[in-house]
Amino acid sequence: MPLRKTRAEDLPQAGSQAALSADEAIALLGGPDAAGRQAAARRLAGNAAAAEALCARFAVETDIPTREAIAVALMRTQSAVTVERLLPFLSSEDAALRNTVIEILQALPAEVAPHMERLLDHPDSDVRIFAVNVLEALRHPKVEEWLIAVVSADRHPNVVATALDLLGEVGTEAAIPALSRIAARFADEPFLKFAAGNAMKRIGAGS
Amino acid sequence: MKSILIIDDASTVRLYHRSLLEEAGFHVDEAVNGIEGVEKALSRTYDLFVVDVNMPKMDGYAFLREIRRRKEIHQSPAVMVSTEAEEKDRQRAFAAGANFYLVKPTKPNELLEVAALMTGGRA
Repeated sequence: MPLRKTRAEDLPQAGSQAALSADEAIALLGGPDAAGRQAAARRLAGNAAAAEALCARFAVETDIPTREAIAVALMRTQSAVTVERLLPFLSSEDAALRNTVIEILQALPAEVAPHMERLLDHPDSDVRIFAVNVLEALRHPKVEEWLIAVVSADRHPNVVATALDLLGEVGTEAAIPALSRIAARFADEPFLKFAAGNAMKRIGAGS
Repeated sequence: MKSILIIDDASTVRLYHRSLLEEAGFHVDEAVNGIEGVEKALSRTYDLFVVDVNMPKMDGYAFLREIRRRKEIHQSPAVMVSTEAEEKDRQRAFAAGANFYLVKPTKPNELLEVAALMTGGRA
């Protein structure tokens, strides 16, 4: 028996998303009506099996409230697929899209963690900066360790500057040796010397 | 005293720029993103905006476009401060409404020279 594709007009209207099946919601996600797409996103929130479809729609969605609804749904998927599909957007020129992706990734610490070292070693310094931005609100025990690695080894002043800003907030005494070496590593960058000193002050080690 | 509004989500950058500009005699206020920047820009007169590019909620380009369309503040000069050094990034900043473009990390003398130039002289 041939499969019959569900048409958006056959589906329940927006507002009755609880009545939608997951398959119907996925079909509605591609429909022309923004309210319907938002209802579909709400229905699929937290559904890991729908991560692929939600990411595909997120990639092309131009309606901002709908994109936000999909983002919230993706945050709740707890899916490795979500992270794999969204990581390429860290290279996007669209700042609003990129910022939304950063927020989604921040909500998926366990799924992001296996990718973090590769991201922090990415050849594009912008991607490394955005990876540090992801760490800003990532509730993961390795955040400080990753930041110390960045300030110890990364050669790009703006990547290090972004990590220093965050280390000042979340760092402990474990970061002090790496912070103490910044002035020598970046002797021609007064800002980095300032930022490392400021981070040490905030951690409580003085400077 | 000339007033400058720094719009940047990085607290260390705000603190650094603030300390340099205050030492030079400017009054400095801060905002952590473009939305807060617009609100503050409308609340008092600033002689210069120092604007980061990548910020959550409203980025630097959107902030510049917003202030350029509001008649109360559309003539205030703005310096965009960015990690991007390519010409296309400079052009994008100017197209959004920036008057000057600095690449991060900023050197103290660069920032102070631009601040003096954009505000019509010393603080």
